[in-house]
Amino acid sequence: MNLFWPENIAFESAMEQLSFYKPNKPFDQEVVAFTQALSKRFLRIRELPEIVALGYWLRKANIKEMQAAFEQGAAQKKVRARGTVFHIAPSNVDTIFVYSWMLSLLAGNRNIIRISSKEQKGLNVLLQIIIEELTRPEFQKIAQQTIICTYGHEENATAVLSSACQTRVIWGGDVTISAIRSVPLAPLANELTFPDRFSLAVLNSEIISKLNEKELDNLVEQFYNDVFWFDQMACSSPRLIVWSGDNQEAINKFWTVFAQKIQQKQYELMAATQVLKYTTSLVLATESVVGNLENGLYFSRVKLSDVPADVRERHCGGGMFYEYTVETLKDLAGVLIDKDQTIAYFGFEREELENLVDAITTRGIDRIVPIGKALEFTGVWDGQSFLTSFTREVIII
Amino acid sequence: MIAPYHLERQQKSAQLLDKLNALTKWHMDNCQEYKAMLEKSDAVQQVDTLEEVPYLPVQVFKLLELKSISQEEIVKVLTSSGTTGQQVSKIYLDKETSVAQTKILVEVMKPLLGSKRLPMIILDTKSVLKDRKSFSARGAGILGFSNFGRKHFYALNDDMSLDIVGLQAFLKEFAGQKILLFGFTFMIWQYVYKEVIASDIKIDCGDSILIHGGGWKKLKDEAVDSSTFNRLLHEQLGIREVHNYYGMVEQVGSIFVECSMGHLHTPSYADIIIRNPITFEPIPYGEQGLIQVLSELPKSYPGHSLLTEDLGTIHGEDDCLCGWKGKYFSVAGRIPKAELRGCSDTFQGGTKR
Repeated sequence: MNLFWPENIAFESAMEQLSFYKPNKPFDQEVVAFTQALSKRFLRIRELPEIVALGYWLRKANIKEMQAAFEQGAAQKKVRARGTVFHIAPSNVDTIFVYSWMLSLLAGNRNIIRISSKEQKGLNVLLQIIIEELTRPEFQKIAQQTIICTYGHEENATAVLSSACQTRVIWGGDVTISAIRSVPLAPLANELTFPDRFSLAVLNSEIISKLNEKELDNLVEQFYNDVFWFDQMACSSPRLIVWSGDNQEAINKFWTVFAQKIQQKQYELMAATQVLKYTTSLVLATESVVGNLENGLYFSRVKLSDVPADVRERHCGGGMFYEYTVETLKDLAGVLIDKDQTIAYFGFEREELENLVDAITTRGIDRIVPIGKALEFTGVWDGQSFLTSFTREVIII
Repeated sequence: MIAPYHLERQQKSAQLLDKLNALTKWHMDNCQEYKAMLEKSDAVQQVDTLEEVPYLPVQVFKLLELKSISQEEIVKVLTSSGTTGQQVSKIYLDKETSVAQTKILVEVMKPLLGSKRLPMIILDTKSVLKDRKSFSARGAGILGFSNFGRKHFYALNDDMSLDIVGLQAFLKEFAGQKILLFGFTFMIWQYVYKEVIASDIKIDCGDSILIHGGGWKKLKDEAVDSSTFNRLLHEQLGIREVHNYYGMVEQVGSIFVECSMGHLHTPSYADIIIRNPITFEPIPYGEQGLIQVLSELPKSYPGHSLLTEDLGTIHGEDDCLCGWKGKYFSVAGRIPKAELRGCSDTFQGGTKR
C-alpha cells in the first residue's frame, strides 16, 4: 500500500480520519472552490492537452451549469450524498480518476481513489498539483475526506475498501471488472462499471465533397484529435469509419488530407506499432468480411462488408481504420452491438441521428457527438449519470 | 570457394529470386490465407528484385496456423519459444521441407565443423526432446545440431543443475580430440557459466568449438556482449572458438552463423534485407533497421519471406575478410514494445511487471 494522500500517515489512520466529517451537501462551497483552484492549475499545463481539457471541463461556467441542472432536478426533493465512494482508476488514461473524483466530490461524497501503479507521464504532474492544493488550509475538510493510493493486485485492500464504501466505481477492461466484481461489496453499496467499449465515426461523403479547403482542414483537425490523443486506444476513439453516400472522390480526398495532417502534427510513429498494424491488417485479410487493405505510412485502411464482434476485438489502435459503407444512416443500426459506445458524426441532421437511435435493437450506443468531441467527458457516461448514481434521494411524505 | 558461402551478389540474387517467385506462386495456390493476404493488399506476386518479394510479419504465425500442405502430410510441428501465456508460432513441416532443413543445416555448418562427427556436449537438458512430433525452438535446435556430433553428452540435469562430474569424465575420455559444444546463449550463461563460477571449479574443454544461438535479450540486461561472453567462456571453460548464430523457428533454412571475423553471414539459399522500421523501405548497408529474412526452403508453409521484429545492420556484401561471400551483418536486438495508451487494464500495471 502506497499512500499519495494523506501524507505521512498510516493507511488505517487515514481510513479513520476519512469518516471524521460527515458527507457534504451537493455543490458545497468549499468543494466548488476546490474545483476552481484545480481548474486554474490544470489549464496551465499546455504540454499535456488532456490535462488542459480536464481544466477546461472544471471551469466555473461548466460547474455552474452542472449545478443548475442538478438543482433543477432536485428541486422539492431531499437529495444527499451516498457517503464514501471508492474509485478504481484505469492504468492508461491518467485524467479519468480526476473526472470520477470531482463528480463524486460535487455530489458531496468522501472519496478513496486507487490509481494504477504503472508509470504514466501525465499522472505525476496531476498528482503533484492535487497534493499541493489539498495541502492548502482552505481545503482542509476535503483533504481529510480524500484518500489517494496505489497497491498491488495481491493485497486485500480491494476487499477492505469494497466493504467500507457506499459506491464502487470500476474503470478498466472487462477482465479487471470481472476480477473486482468477485470481491464482495457492502450490501447497501451500488456500483458503476466502465468496461471495454468500441467506438466509431459516421461521415457523410456527399457533404464532405462540398467542403472548401479550410472547412475540410478543420474537420480533419477535429478528427485527428479524436483518433490520436490516446493513440486510438481510448474507448471513445473512433476505430470504425462509416461512410454514408458513395462519393469516392470525397472519401479519397479526406484520407489524403488526413495523412497530411498527421504528418504536419508530427505524430510519433513507432516501429512496433507499424509492425503491429501491418500484422493486424494481414491477419484480418483472412476473414471473409474483409475486403481490400491499404497499409499507408500513417494509417491502415481495412474495408469491411460486415462488422462482426471478433473483427472489433482484433483492432490494434495506433492508426487503423475499419471502413464500412451504408446507404442511409439508419442502415447502420443493423451492425451495432452492445459494446459500441460513441458515434462521432459529421454531415447529419439531428433527426437522422434520432432515427438511428430508434432503429438500434441492441444495448449499443451511449453517445452521439460531433467529430472532435469524441473524447470530451460529460457527467453522463456509458448511459449513466454520475450525479444521480453518486447521490440518494430521501423521501418525506 | 566454400559452399554455401561461394556465390556473389549477381548470381545469388538471380537464383534466389527465381526460387522465391516460384514459392510465392506455390503458396498462393496452396494456402488460402496467404492468397487472401496478398490479393487483398494488392501485393505484386511475381517480382524483379529481392526487395519486392512480398513479406509477412513473423507474428502472423502466432495468430494464424498457416500451411500449404494437407493435414496428412505434416510430419513435424515446430513451435517458437515463449514464456507461459504468450502465444507461440506454429510451423508445419512436411517430409520434403523437413529433409531440406536438415540437409541445409549441415551445409551451413560444414565450413566451420568439417564433415567428421565430433564428440559433442549439449549444454542443455535431454528432457527438451521429450515429444518427437512437436518441437520447441530449443528442441528443434538441439536435434538439428546433434547431427554434427557423436557420443552426445547433455551437460544439464533435468532440474537445470550442471552435471559437473559427468562433464569432467567426458572431457577426460576425449582429451586431445576436438570437441563440439552446442547450446542456447542464455542457458549457457545462466546454467553453465554462472554455475561453474559459483562452484569455483576450472574446466578446460581443450580443442573445442561452441555454436550457440537464441538471442541476447537477457544477457543484454546484465550488460554482457558477445566479446565478453566469448572471453569469459574461454577463461572459465577453456572454450577456444565460439560462433553465435541467428535464426528463427518461423523460417527454416535461415541459419546465419558467425564467420571467423565474428560476422553473421548469409548462405546462398537465404538472404536478408534491412528496412526502415517506420516506412519499411529498404535502407543502405551500414544503417540499422528491421531485418527481413528470405529463404528458399519454406515450401510446406508460407514463410519464405518474413519481416522480423529484430534490428540489424548489414556491414557489407561479398567482401568480408574471412573470405566467405554473401551479405554479412550483425543483430542489435528487438524493437521496443508498443505501449499504446487506452482505458483498459486497471490492474495490469500492478501485476505484470
